[in-house]
Amino acid sequence: MFNNSKNHRRISAVVDEATSPVPGDSWPRPLPFASVFVFSLLITAPLCSAQTIPADTIRFLNRYCADCHTGDEPEGEVRFDLQPIQWERAESVDLWQRVYDVVSQQEMPPRDAEQPATADRKQMVDWLHSQLTEHAKPGGTTIRRLNREEYENSIRDLFDMPEFKAPDAFPADDSQYGFDNIGEGLVLSPPLMAQYLELATLVADSILPPDNGPEVANPQLYRIGATWLAESAWTTVEGDRFRISSSKKDNAHTAGWPIRFSAPKSGIYRLTIDASSLQTDKMFYARQDQPFRLSIYAKQKTEQTYDWFDRLRHLADFDVQTDQEPPQKFTCEIELIKGEAFGLRWSNGPVHSNGFHRERLKQDRRLHAAMLGIGKDPRGMSQQQYYQETLDLLKGELDLENPRLDEELVGILFGGIAHKNGPKLMVDWFVHEEVRRYGPALDITDVSIEGPLRLIEDDEMRTRKARTAKFLGERAAGATDREYAEHVLRRFLPRAFRRSVGDEQVQVYVDLAMREIESSNARIEDGLHVAVRRALVSPNFLYRSPRPGRLDDFDLASRLSYFLTSSPPDDQLFELAALGKLSNAEIRKSQTLRLLSSDRSSNFVKSFTGQWLGTRRLHDIMPDPRLFFYYQQHRDSMTSEVEMLFEEILKENHSLDTFLDPGFSYRHKSLNKIYGDELDGNEMQRVEFQRGGRHGGILGLSAVMMATANGVDTHPVQRGVWLLENVFGTPTPEPPDNVPAIAPDTTGTTTMRSLVEKHRADQSCAHCHDKIDPLGMVLENFDPVGRWRDNYPIYVQPNDGEALKEEFYANTGKGTKPGPPIDSVGVLIDGTRLNDVTDLKRYLVENIDIFSRCLTGKLLVYATGRPLNFGDRRVIDKIVGDVKDQENGFRDLIVAIVQSEAFAVK
Amino acid sequence: MNPSDRRTFLKGTSANLALPMLESTRAALGATHEKDPASEPKRLVCVGVYLGFYQKDFFPAKTGHHYDISPVLEPIEGYREEMTIFSGLDHRGRHGHEGWRAWMSGRATGSVSMDQLVADHVGDQTRFASMQLTCGSPPGDAKLSFTKEGVALPMIGRPSVLYETLFRSGSDKARMEYLLKTNRSVLDGLSEETRALERTVTSKDREKLGEYFASVRDVEKKLQKQQLWLDRPTPKVDYPLPEFDPVAPDVALECESIMYDLMALALTTDSTRVLTFLIPGWSQVFTINNRKLSAGYHSLSHHGNEVAKIAEYNMVGREHVKRLGGFLDKLKANKDADDRPLLDTTTVLYGSGMGDANTHDNSNLPTLLVGGGLRHGQHHQIDRGAASPRLLGDLYLTLMQQFGVQSEQFAGATSNMNEYLL
Repeated sequence: MFNNSKNHRRISAVVDEATSPVPGDSWPRPLPFASVFVFSLLITAPLCSAQTIPADTIRFLNRYCADCHTGDEPEGEVRFDLQPIQWERAESVDLWQRVYDVVSQQEMPPRDAEQPATADRKQMVDWLHSQLTEHAKPGGTTIRRLNREEYENSIRDLFDMPEFKAPDAFPADDSQYGFDNIGEGLVLSPPLMAQYLELATLVADSILPPDNGPEVANPQLYRIGATWLAESAWTTVEGDRFRISSSKKDNAHTAGWPIRFSAPKSGIYRLTIDASSLQTDKMFYARQDQPFRLSIYAKQKTEQTYDWFDRLRHLADFDVQTDQEPPQKFTCEIELIKGEAFGLRWSNGPVHSNGFHRERLKQDRRLHAAMLGIGKDPRGMSQQQYYQETLDLLKGELDLENPRLDEELVGILFGGIAHKNGPKLMVDWFVHEEVRRYGPALDITDVSIEGPLRLIEDDEMRTRKARTAKFLGERAAGATDREYAEHVLRRFLPRAFRRSVGDEQVQVYVDLAMREIESSNARIEDGLHVAVRRALVSPNFLYRSPRPGRLDDFDLASRLSYFLTSSPPDDQLFELAALGKLSNAEIRKSQTLRLLSSDRSSNFVKSFTGQWLGTRRLHDIMPDPRLFFYYQQHRDSMTSEVEMLFEEILKENHSLDTFLDPGFSYRHKSLNKIYGDELDGNEMQRVEFQRGGRHGGILGLSAVMMATANGVDTHPVQRGVWLLENVFGTPTPEPPDNVPAIAPDTTGTTTMRSLVEKHRADQSCAHCHDKIDPLGMVLENFDPVGRWRDNYPIYVQPNDGEALKEEFYANTGKGTKPGPPIDSVGVLIDGTRLNDVTDLKRYLVENIDIFSRCLTGKLLVYATGRPLNFGDRRVIDKIVGDVKDQENGFRDLIVAIVQSEAFAVK
Repeated sequence: MNPSDRRTFLKGTSANLALPMLESTRAALGATHEKDPASEPKRLVCVGVYLGFYQKDFFPAKTGHHYDISPVLEPIEGYREEMTIFSGLDHRGRHGHEGWRAWMSGRATGSVSMDQLVADHVGDQTRFASMQLTCGSPPGDAKLSFTKEGVALPMIGRPSVLYETLFRSGSDKARMEYLLKTNRSVLDGLSEETRALERTVTSKDREKLGEYFASVRDVEKKLQKQQLWLDRPTPKVDYPLPEFDPVAPDVALECESIMYDLMALALTTDSTRVLTFLIPGWSQVFTINNRKLSAGYHSLSHHGNEVAKIAEYNMVGREHVKRLGGFLDKLKANKDADDRPLLDTTTVLYGSGMGDANTHDNSNLPTLLVGGGLRHGQHHQIDRGAASPRLLGDLYLTLMQQFGVQSEQFAGATSNMNEYLL
């Protein structure tokens, strides 16, 4: 009965009695029953230790537990025996902690058994609490598999391969206790093992490539022609020629590339192109005398890509003369890397940017008026139709007094440009059709490529050679294969396993390499290839912290390094570990400060905030477009805001209350609509504002508000749970399975408060929801994207069957109308009344220890990869106290964590 | 894992760390072998069209036997007695391109897809348990098959790679053999390596190491299987593969045709019995019947209910269906080992994870079933307003059960749709 936490959680919710285990204290978080141990425990006779175990407790155990948990086959293999409690045994602590959890969470006694009175349960829980606080020691990390990011960084560092990336299909890591680097949660499955083996082969191939003998060029002629070029928006196939009519800067819009060619090998190819210029009398633009420049770029692959030309390798230019009719032949030799294609671009044409279209309309009032006269949505028309219709209107009377002609033209919408709140004008269609017909344009009439004429060593090969040389090192004169292999592996294995490696273990790997060399008469590289593969699937590489008790210097180095950089120890840390210096708290401090000031600490910032503040969730949320028209840019800016705020607090050692009420933030103009700023420019900017306001700090971040909603509506329960877990540090247990979530009433007839107040009607719900709901209500002013609101929105539905058009998008404000007013009043469990989020911030700043303890706990979980236990409680109290005695700085807090007892044990 | 397994494991740790803990995976999924060779379909092909179809021109207006074929499905009218059209089915999942991931798995967050559950049952009989195909490099959110761990399986997008994989010439056989052989010795010694570790770790750690060794053992088994197949010669076929893979978006339809051809060959040679095929779409401008369309494919799918755009969107849709027709023709013409047309023993599921691409609405998904010896001939309109509406997962239950997967539920669906098909 003891081992099925899920069932009991369900039970706990329907128990009539609502008991709070220890007032205001459900910390630490209840342990899930990851494993169950068989052993005996004491119910001591009152005579031998009456002071430690009160008679009431024994009575409790006898009355409520003994039926199932005594005898030869106790339920859940948990048995209470009349033996003294051996607190020094980790198993004892572990078991009594479980007893504490199930009794305090009302999971035990089971629902169908007799239930203790509230006072009795409280007494039992209080006793357990005091005993555990006294006897439990910090520690208990399960060995931690490297998570995806740590694995990638480890391979990158080990082999000097910054470009290494696990494939998309690499299995995702599970999160536990809020993070994806927790020992218990990091499962290893057969598909993951298969991936590890495959990646080990890939890496070994890259460092020690198989000997395929010399490669030969074997040149071929590829006749590509003009019509086998991939078309993009501003290119067309006109009969037997390929026409380029724009000089925009990205290849998805203006380039052609061969559909049926990519370089089979890295080498020199001879490219031959026939091209001519097109300029006719009907052309709108002035005739150009200067040559049309045809530029050739290296394109990474034949498939669709969205590259800017200035980021592609420029290979050659051809000047197509404008004074001759017949196509001119150009030829040159170009260098292509295996797999590359080439892109063709007209780089000096008159049509080159979106601003150009805007200018054309500003200059040409008649054209502008004609386009306004089309008077219907251009969608559904073809480019030719639109052009023709515009021409027809240009022939007739035009209303040149239309006030819209003087209105500002705004953004580019899928090609066309638009009036503010007005029609979309497909001026680019018009221009494109015009130049397509009459020029100016650059025509390609034939393309062929021959090669490779000779092979080249590309960057990749050069890098590989350098890496191989570095990995192997110098071979001593006269060294046998065995000696050489041993020399290489003695250097490699300690770095792979992040600790010193004994002779015996080195010999196992040397033997493995030598067996391959001797049995297949292979090169030393092939023998080492096998040894490298073995090392990369070895548990010594894939797991860390296997040794129980106090961490030794090497394990400390790994813990510190993966904590603050998600990477293995660097040279300096490794050397300090080898010298046994990391046990020294001062050296640990200086190393912590060094790592925090390195670029790599951004891994920590991203990973920790992504999980603690939920920004990773933003990838899974798509706000309703009627509420907010959301782009990638918004997501990136929201995430950056969180990371930059966190980073400043960390690097400047700001005090912990800065998280709650900083008076500054980092924002981007794309978030103006959310924060009401008037920022300009393309960069994130540091903004300062009055403390104590609505926005600012983790309780007013758009990213956090979005991550705690679902994109469509907000939910006080979701945000309340989030606050308890991540700000107050007093998480509530999982909700029972059989209770449906409250669906917000988006029509506005029922208020959110009356919906959540149903929770109070049921006492078993009220037990937790008294804590959750009032907190969550305080954040109701933030809409699902974190904008301040005073009323709930009512979503406007487009007519049935009608497409969701721009007018319903939030940019226009027509997607929603104001509904019932927000009621954000909340009462904390201690009776404090909060009118809105500013009160909540003030409360937390005044009672900063609540937040400090929570954040310290989160950091400790993240750093040690384990849930917190009663032993950590003392540690956290001490850290929080010590740091507060200084300036309560965040960086000081991290240092204190690294120096703490909890950090230094497994 | 349930606690009883763990107990067994812990009791056994003194003897051996590497217990095969994952053997019960199959039972945990509620699936067991139970086969009736006579009535059982042998192959499953699932084809998903990324940018979907215009629903009103995909679904026939009338239901039952005597429906008039819809404009988009017209190219396969000849198969109407061998196919069933379902309208009104979906997973009640979330909308948007990302919702596509739910098409075969029922869940947008990454969960095992139906084809992989089937492959678990029939996969061990062929060289490839299942194959995942596409054309070129699809957009990032276009995923179709997922493992039990919720990992999206990579897809082969180049015809030449698929051809090489299926009918590999001897050239890279030596390399594969070398890797198989050496990888076995890589894995062989791992247990001795950690012997020292085992003495020091705690019981939770032992559990983790048990997980590790179970995985190692599983991979070893897989390597053995690969070795067996490597020793058997690959089938010889005569197929004129083009010199260059048509993976550029402009020629995606050409790629689609070749992929279908190779899929038919893969089934005919019994190289695999489970295929999934994702037909991607980008902003390429197609030329169909010598007419260049007025806009890119993706922008046609956001047709804004404009008649002209819908017509062109449908033109692309018909091109897809036409190619499906060509594939069905091949399955009809080729015979299996028992001299039955392949189509009789191959269930083809055709559709899209996108219901209405115009609004990114993932409800009322286009759904078509062909072949597999099912009771066909009708258009069934599923009442979405019913008290307990049918889900696409219900249909998948029927399909999976046909393959002997005794699952009673799939992604929230709990009742099969046998009454429509058996």
